Amino acid sequence: MISRKKKELLRMGLQSLLGYPMRTVLTMLGVVFGVGSVIAMLALGAGAEKELLQEIGRLGIQNIIINSVEPEQPENNSSSSSSRRGWINYYGLKFKDHRQIVETIPGIERVLPVHLSKKKAWNGSRWIESTLFAVEPDYFEVFGLEIASGRALSPQDEEDLARVCVVRSGLLQELGIYEDPVGYVLTIEDQKFTIVGVLSEDRFQGYAQKALVADARSSEIYVPYQTVLKRQGTRSFSGSAGSWEATDVELNQIVVEVEDLDQVILTSRTIENLLSRNHPEKDYEMIVPLEVLAQRRKTQQVFNIALVAIASISLLVGGIGIANIMLATVTERTREIGVRRALGAQKRHIIAQFLTETTTISILGGVLGIFLGFALVQILVIFTGWTAVITPISILVALTISVAVGITSGIYPARRAAALDPISALRHQ
Amino acid sequence: MPQPIISLEGIHKYYGEVEPRLHVLKGIHLDVTQGEFVSIMGTSGSGKSTLLNLLGCLDVPTEGSYLLGGKDVSQQSDDELSRIRNEDIGFIFQSFQLIPQLTVLENVQVPLLYGESSIREKEEHCRSILDSVGLSHRLSHRPSQLSGGECQRVAIARSLVNDPLILLADEPTGNLDSKTGQEVLELMDSLHGEGRTIIMITHDQEVALRAQRQVRIHDGLVIEETS
Ligand SMILES: Nc1ncnc2c1ncn2[C@@H]1O[C@H](COP(=O)(O)OP(=O)(O)OP(=O)(O)O)[C@@H](O)[C@H]1O
Ligand SMILES: [Mg+2]
Repeated sequence: MISRKKKELLRMGLQSLLGYPMRTVLTMLGVVFGVGSVIAMLALGAGAEKELLQEIGRLGIQNIIINSVEPEQPENNSSSSSSRRGWINYYGLKFKDHRQIVETIPGIERVLPVHLSKKKAWNGSRWIESTLFAVEPDYFEVFGLEIASGRALSPQDEEDLARVCVVRSGLLQELGIYEDPVGYVLTIEDQKFTIVGVLSEDRFQGYAQKALVADARSSEIYVPYQTVLKRQGTRSFSGSAGSWEATDVELNQIVVEVEDLDQVILTSRTIENLLSRNHPEKDYEMIVPLEVLAQRRKTQQVFNIALVAIASISLLVGGIGIANIMLATVTERTREIGVRRALGAQKRHIIAQFLTETTTISILGGVLGIFLGFALVQILVIFTGWTAVITPISILVALTISVAVGITSGIYPARRAAALDPISALRHQ
Repeated sequence: MPQPIISLEGIHKYYGEVEPRLHVLKGIHLDVTQGEFVSIMGTSGSGKSTLLNLLGCLDVPTEGSYLLGGKDVSQQSDDELSRIRNEDIGFIFQSFQLIPQLTVLENVQVPLLYGESSIREKEEHCRSILDSVGLSHRLSHRPSQLSGGECQRVAIARSLVNDPLILLADEPTGNLDSKTGQEVLELMDSLHGEGRTIIMITHDQEVALRAQRQVRIHDGLVIEETS
């Protein structure tokens, strides 16, 4: 009974809105744009976070990645720098580091050594400057690198010192290999390597690319670790006629996979201690994806809050718009208020009527704003290529804010309407 | 002698908070019995509308007692006065006071919104009242599409919807030409014939004479009654 009464009051409130359709729509616009931009901003924020998560997640959040870095050369480097042995540039991670990590650091699942060398890869007369990645078979699994066709490197390859390789599809294009690449033979420097697998490309992006020391030209060639170490060694030469330079980096990368996610940070500190003792020159860098993720996430969240705060200003303006128009409406409909009071409406009925109107306007505006938000997000995604995710939470937030805007913007005009003296309201022109 | 439906005792009304306050009603005594048709006359500014607003519980007297249907309504809360207006009083205004964006039927239903009974169950009731004022063919029109006389008949239908104890009319024919005014007065006559209690303010001697009892107000006092 009481709820039917409420329904009737509600219906009566809505009729007033239908009585002034143009004004209702115009009043709504502020909320439509406000909610639309809040939705879009939340979606962009969520999208950026998702991208971040994917990008860094690719590196495996249980991994610790240590890369060799060439130390800054002092100006006068010809004489007695300890990093130089004669004309050999000797720096970076050592086999000893790898061994010590394996032997002394607890709670570790795997430790993978990686050695890189710059090599020319030939297909007939076409060639490309490529990076040879000497990796153990687990490397692919640890970084979640997927094989698009063929197979990954195997322990058997290691044992056989097999001349096999896994490549990225971009390299095939550069070398003009268009038929089925599996089984195809590449000449790397003076040795022949058979392609056994091709990687899928989706992992080589942004931050992951940097951490994986991959380059944008996709010229990585993955070969068995032992094959490189035993057949070629770690020293590489470069230069041109007359002036030669040699580089000797034993390991370009060590990847540590920690057993327990909770121990990642602690383990990274322990490894840092160990390495800093071995390398006073700090010719390495450590990347802890988990740590990077946490930092970037924090930054992203601050940014998201700022975005939403800016978008909320338009919502606020929308709310002020409603309040403003409602105040005008109260003046314009003073006589109606007087009539309703004379016919028995209590103050609370008048308040309810105006709140119904403002809340309806703002909820309708909110719903339209959600559609607008979807459209904005689509447009942004098409034109910028950003990732955007519209979460159910953001829709809920938008609707809640709309209701709140409706009520707060309605409360003052409604109270003013209810406070009118019926007799003078009836006399109002 | 039946119990009067309205009983005013020593009613004073002052306007304004600060001295000199305007003393408009200066001790009104008035009893109205069930089924009476009373007209109130008086010069402009004599306090007729003030009196009617008090009778309609739109305002409360500064002094004195007002019994409506045996109940003292002179010092009630705003909510209680609203409830009394809704249930016991039917207003008919000079300027009709219909709500412009509502249809004829919806205008008549407005008092139901604020009362106990639901619009749905009173739908037939509203239609039959509109039928009795001759407007059953205009239910979904808006006030702007009606003539003045039709508007006033909608207002009369609206005043009847909650079956009030008294009908109060402040110059109901003031905005009408004499012919449509006559029609409205005939309608009031027939309501009186059905046993309704009506109190009507008018400037027009002839109109006043349609009522069984004329009250004249002068300078805030009842000075003359003819029956
Ligand atoms: N709310 C108010 N505040 C102050 N003075 C008022 C108020 N309402 C009415 N008055 C004054 O009280 C006096 C009586 O007014 P009222 O409206 O009752 O007269 P009336 O008899 O209905 O006149 P008319 O025939 O012109 O309608 C007038 O002098 C008017 O100016
Ligand atoms: Mg008057």
